[in-house]
Amino acid sequence: MTLADLEADVRAGLPGLDTAVAFGELTVQVPADRILDVLRRLRDELDFDYLVDLSGVHWPGGDHMIDPQLSTTGWPEHRVLGGRGVIEVTYHLLSTERNVRVRLVVAVPDTAPEVPSATGVYPTANYHEREVYDFFGVLFPGHPRLERIFMPDDWVGHPQRKDYPLGGVDTQYQGGQAVPPPDERVWSREVAR
Amino acid sequence: MGLEERLPAGILLTNLERFVNWGRSSSLWPATFGLACCAIEMMATGAGHYDLARFGMEVFRASPRQADLMIVAGRVSQKMAPVLRRIYDQMADPKWVLSMGVCASSGGMFNNYAILQGVDHIVPVDMYVPGCPPRPEMLMDGIIKLHDKIRQEHFADGRTAHPDQPVDA
Amino acid sequence: MTAPDRSAAALAPDADELFLTGADWEEIADAVHDGTITINMGPQHPSTHGVLRLVLELEAEVVRSVQPVIGYLHTGIEKNAEYRTWVQGVTFVTRMDYLAPFFNEVAYCLAVERLLGIEAPERAQTIRVILMELNRVASHLVWLATTGLELGAISMMLYGFREREAILDLFESQSGLRMNHAYVRPGGLVQDVTPDFADRVRGLVTELGSRIPEYEDLLLKNPIWLERTQGIGILDADQCREFGVTGPVLRSAGVAWDLRKSQPYCGIEQYEFDVPTDTGADAYARFLVRMEEIRQSLRIVSQAVDALPGGEVMVADQKIAWPSKLGLGPDGIGNTPEYIRHIMGESMEALIHHFKLVTEGFAVPAGQVYQAVESPRGELGYHVISNGTTKPYRVHVRDPSFVHIQPIDVMTRGHLVADLVAVVASLDPVMGGVDR
Repeated sequence: MTLADLEADVRAGLPGLDTAVAFGELTVQVPADRILDVLRRLRDELDFDYLVDLSGVHWPGGDHMIDPQLSTTGWPEHRVLGGRGVIEVTYHLLSTERNVRVRLVVAVPDTAPEVPSATGVYPTANYHEREVYDFFGVLFPGHPRLERIFMPDDWVGHPQRKDYPLGGVDTQYQGGQAVPPPDERVWSREVAR
Repeated sequence: MGLEERLPAGILLTNLERFVNWGRSSSLWPATFGLACCAIEMMATGAGHYDLARFGMEVFRASPRQADLMIVAGRVSQKMAPVLRRIYDQMADPKWVLSMGVCASSGGMFNNYAILQGVDHIVPVDMYVPGCPPRPEMLMDGIIKLHDKIRQEHFADGRTAHPDQPVDA
Repeated sequence: MTAPDRSAAALAPDADELFLTGADWEEIADAVHDGTITINMGPQHPSTHGVLRLVLELEAEVVRSVQPVIGYLHTGIEKNAEYRTWVQGVTFVTRMDYLAPFFNEVAYCLAVERLLGIEAPERAQTIRVILMELNRVASHLVWLATTGLELGAISMMLYGFREREAILDLFESQSGLRMNHAYVRPGGLVQDVTPDFADRVRGLVTELGSRIPEYEDLLLKNPIWLERTQGIGILDADQCREFGVTGPVLRSAGVAWDLRKSQPYCGIEQYEFDVPTDTGADAYARFLVRMEEIRQSLRIVSQAVDALPGGEVMVADQKIAWPSKLGLGPDGIGNTPEYIRHIMGESMEALIHHFKLVTEGFAVPAGQVYQAVESPRGELGYHVISNGTTKPYRVHVRDPSFVHIQPIDVMTRGHLVADLVAVVASLDPVMGGVDR
């Protein structure tokens, strides 16, 4: 089925939602309170049997300048403009019957982000939601066990938010010091070879 | 061998040292600590084409208690670091650590929050093998250099003493 | 929602739920629950296919529940890609699923090319298909080797890696590296293949094709192999859908879903090949499916190498194409002397182009795409978001191994601990993809 047909189906079955087609894909903006209903109807009425992916994107508010990170990359960073201040929780669904995909985007404010858990509709959402919680701090009420999944359990902060630094160590050479060629370096222990 | 701390240093035991070192280096059993891509190259080094068995290292012991050499093959994440240290502590003396690949040696291309910038932050490393991942020949080169290093050890080095305890001279 | 209650009362032996995290392991281990014991199959283990930690609740030798704990290989690749240019992203994503690096590279580059609105030249697409399918064969060989090792068929380990060396030889001759190649770039390939590429590939296909009967002789009717894999780890089609499972595991449950057929990429639809399925839905069925996939991949490769067109391997648009012309010189691979003469002596514009493209990179129009390919483990998807600059805004990878860790619990209930090893092996998780 074509993308236009899919969009028509979606608009008919799920009234009142913003849809957009770009780069050959259909994206539907869904408010957080309707997401479970939308997922259920997509699964049952429109044959979207797979929740392929559930991820997050952080669009910080204000004219946000990302940490320069000069020590790790030495490059100027890019500035994110426009005060949105949202975390977009993105759902990618796939229908194997009709061979189509659709993307649902739930934008929640990044200060207290909460989206109802989709594990009741698609059990595979379990790990994905834990990942979004771990990296963005989004809470999913209804999730059976919402814990960090990648970072250690006592980690502070949510790493993939834009205000979280990349981390790492300073690898810049200081004051133009040169590294001596290998035959002039001082080894801590000679290996006779 | 706790005996080593009590033996005198010097030429008296040279032949014994050489014999013991020859024995240690010739059958250095690695502990399986393959983490990421380097682990696959380590497996390839142990497989038929680049055979590690000819250096006495074919038995990759899963249990650290039975292993001599810990080849840290791959990137060590923050969550894995305590596990790595625990496995190192569980190994019996004498033990050596070979840091395989740039991620284990220095954090590699991942200079970020998630990766330990070099496994020598938590365990003492005897040999660093660069590469991303190092070719099997490079790993073997590192292992053979480590064999040479082991053959030059002396009992009085204090190498086998616990790092927290003082060494008798 | 409040944070989970980790107080001592919640963890008492008669509590209904146990929250298993790393920090409170001691409290959990003390809470012996209903005659079961809780055993940790730690991240360092020869049979967990990588740094996977499984917390098992056992009743004697029978597994009552499995809680996988992942994150021991978390590398922060997705975040790191936001601080590198679009082309440098290739070197990062290639190290996620390190057994199938070409799939990562191609999926990422296809996503970037869709955002750019360009298409790589046909020669590049065909070479991508050849390298991907050979990578699939190599990945399945490693799967066979490690599964054999874990289940006790140690000679399979040696055979699998022997064949893989032949494939890696080819990869090394073309890209310079055995693994993690960074050979595929947005717009095409970084450099063309060598003149003897087609002959080498044909020789490789013949050699690999002649070895498959050897593996079948070893394992197909082997009674020990059958005992250890038949009836183990059943995951039927409905459960696969619920858990988002794709790839050989789904096809072993009878569903003929393959992205190479349904949503083809890189011109793969022009080649004739079958999608193997089986109805057993157990570990043995997955073994059969993967063996047949090796055959089908070799079939695709031989058709593709016969259909290899001439032409460029990088897109013509000079604002996007990777500028350097690499060649093999006395000191290794580097820019050819002719190219250096051109940018240093002949054309200031070419020098500026080269400099800007290599240091700053090209800018990609704003938008988001989701591009999926059929990796050896299942659907590998890249959700790439650009905000119009020279660095990605967000690169999220939908890795099949990550999704496939979830059903381990369901697949192992009631089996023995030794069967757990077979179950995890049959899912073929690669922890680099799981933890990213």
